[in-house]
Amino acid sequence: MPRVALRDICKRFGATEALCGASLELEPGSVHALLGENGAGKTTLVRVLYGNVRPDSGVIEIDGRPVDIPNPSRALALGIGMVHQHFMLVPALTVAENLVLGEPGSAWLPRARLAAEARVLLERFGLALDPEARTETLAVAQMQRLEIARALARGANVLVLDEPTAVLAPPEVDDLLALLARLRDEGKSIVLISHKLDEITAVCDRVTVLRAGRTVASRPLAGLDASELGRLMVGDSLPPAGRPPETEPGPLALELVGARAPGLAGIDLALRAGELVALAGIDGNGQGPLEQLFAGVRALDSGELRVLRAPIAVIPGDRHRNGLILDLSVEENLVLPEAARGGEPPIFRARIVRKAELHQAASRAIERFEIKARPADPARSLSGGNQQKLSVARALRARPGVLVAVNPTRGLDVAATASVREELRREARAGTAVLLISTELDEVLELGQRIAVLFRGRLLPVAAGAHTRAAIGRLMLGEGAS
Amino acid sequence: MSYVRAFAQPLGAAAVALAAAAGLLALIGADPIAALGALAAGALGDRIALENTVVRMGPLLLVGLGVALSFRCGIWNIGGEGQLYVGALAATALVTRGLGAGPGAVSLPLALLVGAGAGALWAGIAAALRVRRGVSEVLSTILLNFIAVLAVAWAVHGPLQEASGAYPQSDAFPDLARLAVLPGMRRVHLGLVLAAALPFAVWVLLFRSAAGLRLRAVGLSPDAARNAHVSPERETTRVLLISGALAGLAGALEVSGVTGRLFENLASGYGFTAIAVALLARLNPIGVLPAAFFFAALASGSGAMQRVAAVPSVAVQVIEALVILFSVSFALPKSGAR
Repeated sequence: MPRVALRDICKRFGATEALCGASLELEPGSVHALLGENGAGKTTLVRVLYGNVRPDSGVIEIDGRPVDIPNPSRALALGIGMVHQHFMLVPALTVAENLVLGEPGSAWLPRARLAAEARVLLERFGLALDPEARTETLAVAQMQRLEIARALARGANVLVLDEPTAVLAPPEVDDLLALLARLRDEGKSIVLISHKLDEITAVCDRVTVLRAGRTVASRPLAGLDASELGRLMVGDSLPPAGRPPETEPGPLALELVGARAPGLAGIDLALRAGELVALAGIDGNGQGPLEQLFAGVRALDSGELRVLRAPIAVIPGDRHRNGLILDLSVEENLVLPEAARGGEPPIFRARIVRKAELHQAASRAIERFEIKARPADPARSLSGGNQQKLSVARALRARPGVLVAVNPTRGLDVAATASVREELRREARAGTAVLLISTELDEVLELGQRIAVLFRGRLLPVAAGAHTRAAIGRLMLGEGAS
Repeated sequence: MSYVRAFAQPLGAAAVALAAAAGLLALIGADPIAALGALAAGALGDRIALENTVVRMGPLLLVGLGVALSFRCGIWNIGGEGQLYVGALAATALVTRGLGAGPGAVSLPLALLVGAGAGALWAGIAAALRVRRGVSEVLSTILLNFIAVLAVAWAVHGPLQEASGAYPQSDAFPDLARLAVLPGMRRVHLGLVLAAALPFAVWVLLFRSAAGLRLRAVGLSPDAARNAHVSPERETTRVLLISGALAGLAGALEVSGVTGRLFENLASGYGFTAIAVALLARLNPIGVLPAAFFFAALASGSGAMQRVAAVPSVAVQVIEALVILFSVSFALPKSGAR
């Protein structure tokens, strides 16, 4: 009998079905890999298990008995612990204090006794941490150990780790995997969410693959190879809805040579005018640093970014955080970069805005990009699709020589998606060098004349004849990375 | 519609606060109608009362403008008080020690400029600490207030003390270095005309200029602003300098237009009341005009209320606090909206 079983879990958030038909069974003394593309529902599924999300339907069983997990404290009481991507630690408290935080106990916590108890506990799990160290002074890997220790201290038999290696350096990854193997040998059930094939094969014995909210496979890892896993993760090819633009690459527009920075491990990339290059990859493999580099808010540690056809315009991946300013109007958002450059004509004269010109420019953009809004509306009042079109309109206002679009259709409906993708093709046809960075494989296949995969801050090129889901899926898991 | 709402909320806050104050006055055994009537008469009842109110309004208006501007940029400049004092100190030093009885046509505008510049420099310390060292401007501006107020106390006991040495105050400003009282008025001086014009200038800066768009963008979302190539650090510095200059100018106007000399407790509390002014105005530069008038009226009517209705003038401070409480509990505008 499995220790934990999630059967046929369904969960809908508004119009999107995050999970439907998701199942997961955990045996004692095993490390279970949970695999899937961005948005496949992995995080939602483990949040169901941890009581953060109530499923709409489906059954959760522990030791064969159906249970209800309405909140994380219930999950903890049932022996389920979670190590989040973002640590839930209080930085100003000591290791020992974080360990007991939230536990029922006496009102008085003598420091010495607390530390002594913590030391015993940490030693029992083989975790080398100083109980009296302030948590904020710890390295990231140590904080992660503290999170694990905290779950174990609460008596967790089931430990869920959501992409734990994303924040770790390679030697730390090895340490973590060794720790997980030790805990497995002690009989714990571990769920490891990871996109890294080598990690999965190093420590996992079973794998469950989610695709679009469904469990498509659950089987022992032995005998599965990378291409099989990649195929399971991304599915079989559907004919793409559109095709990359047919343009002849022109002169060099942008060049990255040996680009290194936190998150970028040496990237070489050449973009030519009129070319549409797409970078696939699972989030967290360098997309963020690359976007920041092109946006001009991050510098390289070494290597070089050469822009031969300035300016670069970026359509930001997170349009709310880095893109639009929702409480400014449509027209103000549109000309903010011009204001940043000191108030450029024709919108500004003597650094003062010319209302008529501004209104006209905004009206033209609204018409050209079919944005459903009036110039003076606050950006907040627009739908997601219209906000994204505004973001595109702003990027193109600069008449860029290089256009970088990061997940440009995330969260958009079918019509808005098609319109934004067509806009990128049109730019390429007009001679702009277009770089698409997208975690969505269909989008990459539909737009990219050339395709490469971002993996651990490197680029893995996809051969021109191999633009298939299976081939790219393999690379997304890091096959051939070393 | 939005204009109606923009006025309705602050008016509502003021009205509710006055009603609550009436309740409180009744509670301490005073006749609320008589007390508030005395307050109104003392602030607005006759020409002299009205002029007193308008004179008090000047510093509230200028410092309040600076506060509104910096809050729009997401910078919590609590240092209006200190910036005002430093402005007054610098203007006084220039007039009584630097130029002596120099030609008024030069010394007066120069004194105002120096006052504004000193206020800007004082706020600039906070800007530098924030941009270079990450020190919260809330902390630094509050602490700089103490230094400024004590610096004025030291100056009027020491280097700037009047020649006779009788009182801890500076020499009187020569007539040429004083702002003229408007024709037909007793106290309302030329500086107030300038002060009354500034809200309109600041409104243009905030809502019609490239700089205003940048600073509102930074106030609403520093990340998005940075991505649009707006430097939050530069806007932070700029807005603190402008905000400090406005407060420094208020200090210079106070010594050259109202008191004619520098002394301790020159404008005690104006810097803080100005924060309430900016909040009641919902951070709108034009709204600062009526908001400053309202708080000035409260302050100048409080004496009359004490005399006529035998209500301690501290009750006025309670009313002020209530107005602030009610005006901030009505939703403040998103700092980028008008």
